[in-house]
Amino acid sequence: MTDATVTAAPPSRGRRSRTRSLLIHGALIAASIAMLYPILWMVSGSVRPQDELFGTTSLIPSSVDFGSYLRGWMGLQVSFGQFFWNSLVISVLATIGNVLGCSLAAFAFARLRFGGRNFWFALMLGTLMLPYHVVLIPQYILFLELGWVNTPLPLIVPKYLATDAFFIFLMVQFFRGIPRELDEAAVMDGCGPFRIYFRIMLPLSLPVLATAAIFSFIWTWDDFFGPLIYLNDINTYTVQLGLRSFVDSTGTSDWSALFAMSNLSLVPVFLFFLFFQRLLIEGIATTGMKR
Amino acid sequence: MTVHPTVWVDEARPAAAPRRGALRRMLARNAPGYLFLAPWLIGFFGLTLGPALVSLYLSFTNYDLLRAPDWVGAANYVRIATDDPKFAAAMRVTFIYVVLSVPLKLVFALAVAMAFNRGIRGLTVYRAIFYLPSLLGGSVAIAVLWRQLFASDGLVNMLLWKAFGIEGPSWVSNPDYSLYTLVVLSIWQFGSPMIIFLAGLRQIPTDMYEAAEIDGAGKARQFFKITLPLLTPVVFFNAVIQTIEAFKAFTPAFIISEGTGGPINSTLFYTLYLYQEAFGFFRMGYAAALAWILLVIIALFTAFSFLSARYWVHYDD
Amino acid sequence: MSITLSRRSVLSGGAAALSLAAFGGGPAWAQSARLRFLWWGSQERADRTFKAIEAYKGVASDVSITGEFAGWSDYWPRLATQVAGRNAPDLIQMDYRYIFEYARRGALKPLDDYLDKSLNIADFGQMNIDSGRVDGKLYGVNLGVNSSIVLYDEAAWEKAGIEPPKPGTTWEEFAEKGAALSAKKTKPGFYASADASGVEPALENWLRQQGKALFTADGALGFEPADAGKWFAMWAEMRKSGACVPADVQALDQLNIETNPLTTGKAATAFAHSNQYIGYQKLNKSRLGVSSYPKVSAESPSGHYLKPSMLISVANGSAHADAAVAFANFLVANPTGVEILGVERGVPASESMRNGLAPKLNDLDSVMVKYIADITPGVGALPPPPPPGAGELAFALKRVAEEVGFGRATPEAGGEKLVREAQTILKRG
Repeated sequence: MTDATVTAAPPSRGRRSRTRSLLIHGALIAASIAMLYPILWMVSGSVRPQDELFGTTSLIPSSVDFGSYLRGWMGLQVSFGQFFWNSLVISVLATIGNVLGCSLAAFAFARLRFGGRNFWFALMLGTLMLPYHVVLIPQYILFLELGWVNTPLPLIVPKYLATDAFFIFLMVQFFRGIPRELDEAAVMDGCGPFRIYFRIMLPLSLPVLATAAIFSFIWTWDDFFGPLIYLNDINTYTVQLGLRSFVDSTGTSDWSALFAMSNLSLVPVFLFFLFFQRLLIEGIATTGMKR
Repeated sequence: MTVHPTVWVDEARPAAAPRRGALRRMLARNAPGYLFLAPWLIGFFGLTLGPALVSLYLSFTNYDLLRAPDWVGAANYVRIATDDPKFAAAMRVTFIYVVLSVPLKLVFALAVAMAFNRGIRGLTVYRAIFYLPSLLGGSVAIAVLWRQLFASDGLVNMLLWKAFGIEGPSWVSNPDYSLYTLVVLSIWQFGSPMIIFLAGLRQIPTDMYEAAEIDGAGKARQFFKITLPLLTPVVFFNAVIQTIEAFKAFTPAFIISEGTGGPINSTLFYTLYLYQEAFGFFRMGYAAALAWILLVIIALFTAFSFLSARYWVHYDD
Repeated sequence: MSITLSRRSVLSGGAAALSLAAFGGGPAWAQSARLRFLWWGSQERADRTFKAIEAYKGVASDVSITGEFAGWSDYWPRLATQVAGRNAPDLIQMDYRYIFEYARRGALKPLDDYLDKSLNIADFGQMNIDSGRVDGKLYGVNLGVNSSIVLYDEAAWEKAGIEPPKPGTTWEEFAEKGAALSAKKTKPGFYASADASGVEPALENWLRQQGKALFTADGALGFEPADAGKWFAMWAEMRKSGACVPADVQALDQLNIETNPLTTGKAATAFAHSNQYIGYQKLNKSRLGVSSYPKVSAESPSGHYLKPSMLISVANGSAHADAAVAFANFLVANPTGVEILGVERGVPASESMRNGLAPKLNDLDSVMVKYIADITPGVGALPPPPPPGAGELAFALKRVAEEVGFGRATPEAGGEKLVREAQTILKRG
């Protein structure tokens, strides 16, 4: 918790500021409860008897049983450890791909001059607008032709090819906020575009790169439609696929195990978030960059 | 690279073009841009464009997924325009959702990001907690939870009763209110725009505030004269993206109404309707036509945003 | 797209021919097969199915089977995508509603030629065999017998001192008793019954008791606006008297176990399928009693019929159809396979298998088996095959029932609206 020192916190000015900070914390804590309630409810859902899951909003279970965690972990042919590993590999590789691929494209759109730039930019944005359910089958056939079905490749390779326009657009907006005098000075010093990209753009846009990393990791981790379509073998299942196979709304389901594993599945993304959010607060404000 | 190094850099003023070797000049001018764009171009032509064009083709066919598509001309579009009450219902639901959820979510996210951008003890913890709902994504647990919160005897009504003595309806299952619970869900998951706002706020050099403070500018003045103008590219980004995402919203309605869009079509989001047609009733061709109509609508909105951006978004170039 | 597809099939066909030529096309090569089996269901089903696959190695060592599974709502887009990509699994678990869609579009292989050869299902009984037929041909093998069922919270009825529904109870009696139970107000916001006016099998059962049906044999609608109007009116009456839950409680029900008013503690009675009995019991504290559906009058037939809870089908174009059929046979007609699967997918259709299984069942399983045995003598014929597009009717029914429930349409208007919409759906196909 070193944040408080990073921004220029106003020096304490006695009682008035203390009441104010008390008020702020009160509001934040109240809001935190609203944010936390569902998680607490899921935790309590994972340890309470199944037959009291669906009739109550109370957080306090009538009895506590952690058996659901063991049942969930070992519930399927393949343990959840394997699913966590699969999810982790896919999410990490996809995250690297997104940050790399999209930052290259974003640099071109934000800083370089070339014919047809606006045209490509519009097309890039257009790819965000088509609901993916209708491109699903043509895409599946394409990946089938490539022999990638039943491998994680369809979930990873496209990220290196910057197919997620969200991140390109995000980075473009931030790159454009970086003072232009910096690259102009670099050009005067004889730097080519690659050096500007590596030496100026990337280091100065840590907050947005961290943001992109956080989002790609979490979204890849949470995605189930892609894995559902492309991963058939249970050994290659991701956590989300594993989770969803606990529930068969037409028959018998193990809801406690679902909640237990849902809670566990939040741990890696939460840790990832905690770690990378530190990068959010470094950046131009702390690199001593002045204009 | 022997040519003048600034040719490829985007500048506010046009570079003076030397009059020699037109082709070579064009190459030199364009090459770096296309080089950086190369991965995206490969992805676009190799992975995105083909399937998109196929879906455009399918929108002019009867395609039931299992048999070869059958060309029907514009019949799908004609039907959507003239003879599809569900299309009208889905449009209405989606527009209400977009108009309500996008501004509310953005204001909320910005307010929280602003609060977080000051020296508060325990900031890391608060920020993580406030992001938690967004981590849940479209988890099945959300569906169960939402029903419990917003049912007639749910937590919300319990609080209403205790605080104001009001006996609330069953918000989530009453067709008059169910859509608004999904708006609340969307606002509750405000984490992504919040993080983007935070990153944006971090890019504003602190010395500008210091200078303003010396000039005696108050907090409100600082917000409107420094923060907001410098944040406009990020505000613009969030507004455009959230609008696109809200038009395409699928998961919340899908998990909460189990894909039915009920009660009485009150949560029949556009993409949910599209999904029903495609995979529930084997009408992929029709679904593709729906998708392309949505694309045109979103594109119009986005184009309008970009046109308006000239007047209110400030870039540093 | 069709170009891509045909190129692919040419390629794979060519490759197969090439490998055959290269290895002399020995029979040993032709026999060893790798199959894929796709099903929906939770991990209990996955466990049992993987165990059966494992056990099958002892029967046919040269066949290896890869199991793939997904939850119900994920299953259909996944299957459709694979079939559309000509990458269908060899063995497909099928639902009674969807089998018509898939079979009529040529995605499934007719199995008639295997009957009494590698597929020994003669002792299923005609109805349980025919329930796998579409337009006269056998496309699916019954994996479990199923029927509509009334489930009720025994304690709740007992506490109110009112006799719970039992086979033979008429709708009139049911409505009366229900109103009486709700009037006791044993706990706030608790009603005698869920509102089944939007549940398609319930409407179907009610129509069948009166000699009508959802659809006629020639694919037209099997009921009049007045019928549907009467159905909605009957439930509107129960809603008014408090016998069933109000519309905003019923609207929380997504027609699955965990959202049914019985499970959420809002109602004492649910209208469900018999294979869901165990799932319901697990999510309910009190013991659940079972009964057949209420009747229109004491003389009317039960309206029930035996339908498959699910079927197993073979993909059209499977390279190993023979091996696939043999495995399907193992699941339904081999004591080892049947014992591993138990009644998790429903009651085995084969009489000899059912008898062999009986001593090994636990109490819950036995209740389900007994229910099917009890109603079997009174069941009617299978309904005529649903016409194309019929799947959409269930959605329309739920929506119109909600409109009536929320008072946005009178029962009569609702009946007319439902028929009008159903006819539009059928016309579109």
